[in-house]
Amino acid sequence: MSVKAKLILGTAVLLGLIIMPPFLDAGWQNALNTMLIASLFALSFNLLAGQAGLLSFGHAAYFGIGAFAALHLMQAIEDGLPIATPLLPLAGALAGLIAGVCAGWFATMRSGVYFALVTLAIAELFHSFAPHLKNLFGGESGISGMRMPWAGFNFGTVLEVYYLTLAWVIVCTALLWAYTRTPFGRLTLALRDNEQRVLFMGYDAHIAKTVIFAVSAMFSGVAGALQAMSNETANYALFASHVSAQVVLYTYVGGATLFFGPVFGAVAFTLFAFLVSDLTRSWLFYQGLIFVLVMLYAPNGIGGAIAYHVRHWRELNWSRLAQPYGIALIGGMLVTAGVVFVTETVSILFGLEYENLRGNAEGGFPEFALLGGTWSPTSPITWALPASLLIGGIWLIRKAIKQINDTQDDNRELDDSVTDKEGVQA
Amino acid sequence: MEFLIISTLNGVIYGLLLFMVSAGLTLIFGMMGILNFAHASFYMLGAYLAYALSPIIGFWGGILVAPLLVGLFGMLTERYLLRRVHAHGHAHELLLTFGLALIIAEVVKLFFGDFPVAYQIPDDLRFAAFSVFGTDYPFYRVFIGTVAVAMFVVLWLLLSRTRVGIVVRAAERLPEIAEALGHNIPVVFMCVFGAGAALAGLAGAVAGAFYPTNPNMAAELGVIVFVVVVVGGLGSLKGSLLASLLIGLFSSFAVGIDLSLANLLGLIGLGDWARSVGGLLTTEVSSISGTIPFALMLLVLLVRPAGLMGERN
Repeated sequence: MSVKAKLILGTAVLLGLIIMPPFLDAGWQNALNTMLIASLFALSFNLLAGQAGLLSFGHAAYFGIGAFAALHLMQAIEDGLPIATPLLPLAGALAGLIAGVCAGWFATMRSGVYFALVTLAIAELFHSFAPHLKNLFGGESGISGMRMPWAGFNFGTVLEVYYLTLAWVIVCTALLWAYTRTPFGRLTLALRDNEQRVLFMGYDAHIAKTVIFAVSAMFSGVAGALQAMSNETANYALFASHVSAQVVLYTYVGGATLFFGPVFGAVAFTLFAFLVSDLTRSWLFYQGLIFVLVMLYAPNGIGGAIAYHVRHWRELNWSRLAQPYGIALIGGMLVTAGVVFVTETVSILFGLEYENLRGNAEGGFPEFALLGGTWSPTSPITWALPASLLIGGIWLIRKAIKQINDTQDDNRELDDSVTDKEGVQA
Repeated sequence: MEFLIISTLNGVIYGLLLFMVSAGLTLIFGMMGILNFAHASFYMLGAYLAYALSPIIGFWGGILVAPLLVGLFGMLTERYLLRRVHAHGHAHELLLTFGLALIIAEVVKLFFGDFPVAYQIPDDLRFAAFSVFGTDYPFYRVFIGTVAVAMFVVLWLLLSRTRVGIVVRAAERLPEIAEALGHNIPVVFMCVFGAGAALAGLAGAVAGAFYPTNPNMAAELGVIVFVVVVVGGLGSLKGSLLASLLIGLFSSFAVGIDLSLANLLGLIGLGDWARSVGGLLTTEVSSISGTIPFALMLLVLLVRPAGLMGERN
């Protein structure tokens, strides 16, 4: 994509984020707020995971620390400390930075799996310790504060909080982007690709990695502080492993090899949670499924796959690719429909409500309602429908993949240049 | 004295249970370099499958069949999922098993609900093995321990005394050479992964009847199992056994100790000061017993990443 196209796209997104929210209801404003926070969290995580190649499974720790730091500052402002409310995330940044320097110093002594385990242990340490430290983390119930008015804003509405979050997220994203343009940002990539060469060039890899870790933790702290600011409360559950898991999901589904990939993942998943969590109890299952499928078939994430197509837009033979892509899309939709049907059927048939229904029907299998129809568990149609959807969909996808591979065989040169690039990135 | 003996017994049994789960994990890591995040999920699957099967084929049938099913699932996982991402490196394998763990937890919730299920030991197994200090010690706890010990002996004999064991160890040390000698290494990997999963499944089927069976059991045990394999040394079976017993004993003793740093400081006359500071200094050991394993793991990772018995970093 040309620089001009990127600029136009970026401006459009930015304008949309600024202009749209007043016309949305509070639920959507809240969802956008969550999206922004998740995006920043994922971006800061990706600095470590994607750019430096250090996979952390405990980033919830720095997110949580940022949140608690912001709440403590919030309480202090309530008691009369003369600091402007919009500067609250600075407390998160500072706390995240300090925690990041300490934790990073130790964690980066190891690499690979051992690094992942150290970060995991640190987060678990916080998670199991926090409930016992009443003063710092408020025990099991956590601590809460109040956003104090500042300069005419009283931060009472969701919209005001949203704009504050937006401002912080834009500033932090710009800083993180600028970071990648600095020589140190280049060194970060070099550490991922070949640490030995970096050592030979005379850099101290350990200190560099500690700095990267600390910067990443600092921005995670800002994200945590923003969340604390909008919720006005936080408890030790912020340190839980599923918070760390979420950010891993965001980043790798979006694409860790791209700067904005994690944002894509964070937006997609928070939007997904916002829209789907009301409709079905199994949305976490779908989330896990999407993650595993992306890991299997698009190792560079969805963003990575899109970026590949954008980058090679001119070289790709669209007249030959359009048909298999269309077939794959239809196949994908059929498979999705089949999976959703089966999952929801299982969720209903094994649910408590259905057990009661069966009790009323004296042990028989009464009909159940799903997707606007009623289905009988004993009728073959109920099972033949999803089965045919799945089989038909998979058949179509396989056919499409074969066609796409045939096309690519003809473009072997192009393919080779791509694998070279991917090899460097991996 | 009573506290000492009961805690030791409970600790050893819990440690042996931890060993049952961690044995497979450490074996898989030693061989394939994969840290399997979904390993504790196999443990949970074992418990739930045994629970679902026991009304049909009885309690013992469930305990026997569930591990086999879990083992089969493990083999399929290795063959069709892990092998596919192998080319993208260890980070991707780690992420894949991580996603798998999320899926398994959700599938379990889908079928069995987000609450504990009533997976119980049959009534004719509810008797006392012996009694200490007037309290009966349940037979089933002893049974869990026996299964674990039997498993260790069988595994150790298998690996050190049989042809299969030689091939497996060869595949672990030098896969290329073993392959050049005509052994089908991918199949060996698949079988080891399946066996590791089956062992976790067995642990789940046996222990699930005694400890609570709920959708969080994988996440709760998962981290502790990581602690065990790290402390014992990733890839070392004996190390795992040692670390399991250590952690088991530790957690069972820590629950009963009401000491805090303030008590300790009291010995040198700083007790009142410590109590006035509060916070960390007055936190009792019993209330942070969940924390100490992680601290231990951190310490081992930083000081001696090869673990107690591991050979390499």
